[in-house]
Amino acid sequence: MVPALFFFRGISLRVHQRAGRWDDGRQEPKSAFRAVGEMGSSGLAGCSVVPACAPEGPGWLQRHLLSGEFDQLRNFTIFESNFVQVTRFGEVANKVTMGVAASSPALELPDLLLLAGPTKEDGCPQLLGLFPLQFVQLFIHDESRQQLKVKFCTGRAFYLQLRAPAETRALEFSKWVRLLYRLRFHGQGAVPFTQEEWGDEDWDEETDLEDQERDWRDQLQAREARLDPQTSELWGL
Amino acid sequence: MTYSYLFKYIIIGDTGVGKSCLLLQFTDKRFQPVHDLTIGVEFGARMVNIDGKQIKLQIWDTAGQESFRSITRSYYRGAAGALLVYDITRRETFNHLTSWLEDARQHSSSNMVIMLIGNKSDLESRRDVKREEGEAFAREHGLIFMETSAKTACNVEEAFINTAKEIYRKIQQGLFDVHNEANGIKIGPQQSISTSAGPGACQRNIRDTGSDSGCC
Repeated sequence: MVPALFFFRGISLRVHQRAGRWDDGRQEPKSAFRAVGEMGSSGLAGCSVVPACAPEGPGWLQRHLLSGEFDQLRNFTIFESNFVQVTRFGEVANKVTMGVAASSPALELPDLLLLAGPTKEDGCPQLLGLFPLQFVQLFIHDESRQQLKVKFCTGRAFYLQLRAPAETRALEFSKWVRLLYRLRFHGQGAVPFTQEEWGDEDWDEETDLEDQERDWRDQLQAREARLDPQTSELWGL
Repeated sequence: MTYSYLFKYIIIGDTGVGKSCLLLQFTDKRFQPVHDLTIGVEFGARMVNIDGKQIKLQIWDTAGQESFRSITRSYYRGAAGALLVYDITRRETFNHLTSWLEDARQHSSSNMVIMLIGNKSDLESRRDVKREEGEAFAREHGLIFMETSAKTACNVEEAFINTAKEIYRKIQQGLFDVHNEANGIKIGPQQSISTSAGPGACQRNIRDTGSDSGCC
């Protein structure tokens, strides 16, 4: 079956967000993505959408996609933030914008991860990759430094530290925490959590998921013994 | 940077044939012997000059692994060109071409230009697919054909650019409706159709590279 990836055409109203904050300043990723899902066939039913020209406007990645070079992705609703790629020990490397998107209004949760960064030549936005979230795991790596860990099913992993104004950084990071929680525990009947609890949960979960990932990687390697995954030089992560 | 047209390309073919290496060689002019498995899509872009016009190639490098196949199919839509890649040292990657071609034909525009690429031509001693077999397959299915080496960069430029030339030729012949986004072609910012090539435009002087450098 062909995924619904390119069948989302957005209609005339869009949920837009800038730097991890939804336009109305109150909605969290959970409710915003639910709003996307609630558009239904009419595109209006029960959703809290705002016009594309909302005061805060779309984020860097969303603006890049709206520029029109990626027709199929133009109308995606994106929750995005700016990050710097850091090493496991926090040394800073590249600027990266990461976003998640729902490829269909019928989805309750996002199903795609997008990564973008400035070009080497002129710093203009460049979309680097589009990855089904089913093959990606997101973790809180260091809550105090607002760092996330992004891990692909192939074993590749990298660390991103939120880049945002000091006055909004904590709030913005908390939205990612909420989103990760939703992605992780959706449909499992889990109760809401606090960020303090997440730290321990994350470690346990990460360990469990690393086991899963190892199984995944073993399966891949059994099929593709020739290949030895390393970093992707295409986008330097 | 402004451009006259943007062409969307997809790179498809079995895993390990060198799709990502071809892209890296084309966009960054370097070779990485060991590459991570691609999941989803990784993007590359480069400007080329065809007949005096700046053309931006937006390249979608897809996952070749069978596990990702159903997802890969969803990326075909709206591609103007496809690079269908096999590995000349692995017969099975050549045997799977028909399946890839069926996918490409089914999920993309009928006008899409397909370049068949036999990659790893530097590994002549391990060759498992004769050049003539690649040529015959391409002839039978109406594809352009080249052998390349992402490692030595042999014919890599030519493969991408010759595909662009063929797309451009089809635009000139009126076979592509440049206003139909499903064809994988966009007119560049601040370009009007009058300044872009269209039916009746000069078809000569396509420059940049020859059709085949003959290095492979």
